[in-house]
Amino acid sequence: MLIFAAKRALTDIVNNKFLHIVSIVTIALSVFIVSAFSLFFNNATDFLDAWRTGVRVIAYVGANVTEPQRTRLEETIRNLNGVSVVEFISKDDAFNDLKQKIGQQSSLLDGLDKNPLPDSFEITLTDSYRRLEDIEKLSQSIGGLPYVEDVEYAQKWLHRFNGIYNLFKVTGLVLVSIFFIATLLIIANTIRLIMYSRREEIEIMRIIGADEEFIKYPLFLEAVAQGFLGGVAGILMLYLAFILTVPNLAPETVFSFFEIRFISVKFSLTIVLCSMMIGWVGCFFSIRKFLKL
Amino acid sequence: MHAERKNTIIRMFNVSKRYGKMEALSNLSLEVRKNEFIFVTGPSGAGKSTMIKLLYKGESASSGAILVDGMNLARISRKQIPMLRRQFGVIFQDFKLIPTKTVFQNVALVLAVAGLKPKEIYPRVMDVLERVGIDDRAEEFPPVLSGGEKQRVAVARAMVGGPKIVLADEPTGSLDPDSAAHIFQLLRAVHEAGATVIVATHDQQMINNHDGRVVRLEKGRMAREN
Ligand SMILES: Nc1ncnc2c1ncn2[C@@H]1O[C@H](COP(=O)(O)OP(=O)(O)OP(=O)(O)O)[C@@H](O)[C@H]1O
Ligand SMILES: [Mg+2]
Repeated sequence: MLIFAAKRALTDIVNNKFLHIVSIVTIALSVFIVSAFSLFFNNATDFLDAWRTGVRVIAYVGANVTEPQRTRLEETIRNLNGVSVVEFISKDDAFNDLKQKIGQQSSLLDGLDKNPLPDSFEITLTDSYRRLEDIEKLSQSIGGLPYVEDVEYAQKWLHRFNGIYNLFKVTGLVLVSIFFIATLLIIANTIRLIMYSRREEIEIMRIIGADEEFIKYPLFLEAVAQGFLGGVAGILMLYLAFILTVPNLAPETVFSFFEIRFISVKFSLTIVLCSMMIGWVGCFFSIRKFLKL
Repeated sequence: MHAERKNTIIRMFNVSKRYGKMEALSNLSLEVRKNEFIFVTGPSGAGKSTMIKLLYKGESASSGAILVDGMNLARISRKQIPMLRRQFGVIFQDFKLIPTKTVFQNVALVLAVAGLKPKEIYPRVMDVLERVGIDDRAEEFPPVLSGGEKQRVAVARAMVGGPKIVLADEPTGSLDPDSAAHIFQLLRAVHEAGATVIVATHDQQMINNHDGRVVRLEKGRMAREN
């Protein structure tokens, strides 16, 4: 039964080449646009994430802290939730570092009779612990520890960054959703038009005694096949556009810490599955509306 | 009485069909025996097409009873309609061929619908195409055929399932006289092969040239029978 329906669907596709090409192209373009948007926003968020990875919390250690006390402090910090790496930077290291950064003007520092910088710990956070609130909370608990003089974590900058980051995410989500819905409507409408253009053919099939299943099965198979082909074509188009344009953006030289990635296989499969489902749903509703099946 | 009932294939009793306030058929009663050849005639708007549609349940009667081969059309469910329609071969003035399917596919569809396998379908379709003399155009699509050829394909489609009843609504209405004569010849052959044939037409010439019972409708009513 299904094999015959599939066979008929196939002859049907051949017989109605033009209509099928129209709807496959429509689906492919829609999928292309939606997945291009997702590609852009995924990478943009990844980029911001990668940037944020650079955020560290610095804990300054009091001047009169002994070495065993400091070691114990380091241990305590390391055991805090969300801490991944703790690096001790002695005041001498910090001073040398500063000298190097200032370079030629290091003579400026010659006037100092003693190193004004404190010892410090540079704390890197785990990946899951990078939200602003997390950072704030962690800084507070570190600040509350004994022997810790002060805590610093690029507060202002992070606050502003967080705003941009969230705005970006929301905009991305809204845009992708709008395009997704638009795509849904476009595809459903295309299928509707196709069904409408075929209502006479379907009426004829009924007059010669076709039952509902006989008429419906191939239509559903065709709609799902259209969704599949359109989805795959749209993603291939995006991939082609991707490999043609991305190397020219030369990102590795601009942002060494970031690499533009194509949408994941999982996401591609989801899109293809979605477009197959849209085919099915579009078919379902137009059949109900135009064929009264 | 018993024998007569057994021979009846279609029975219409007090059938009316209303479209809104417009009454297309009014209290029509008619009995058709097996293997009869009937002309349904009458002026435009008399209800000829409506009567044909009611028989294959393209429309449902507003009142009255229609029995086809023992089935009460008012009683059959939606699911049973396809089975009813497979008892009929129907021919229309505008051919109603599917333009995107070949001649072969158009005719084969009837058998596919009835659940036959491709192996069984092929020889039967080629056989009827040969009988209507269109087997050499089997792979053409309907739009390239002439009107007479299209109607021969439609006749082949109406014949291929071996229906008990063939309904034809103005089958020669848009054909030249020669093609029309050919179509009537084919309908005759179908009749001789055992089918009951009902032809709606206002082609008086055709009616005069052929034997058969003539049913005349006027304004949805039976005007005369002979
Ligand atoms: N779907 C419909 N809706 C409304 N009125 C209809 C419909 N179908 C038929 N009618 C009306 O019913 C009447 C009978 O129509 P029908 O088509 O049966 O006539 P006919 O005898 O076949 O005429 P013709 O010789 O012109 O084909 C006409 O007045 C027509 O306008
Ligand atoms: Mg008519």
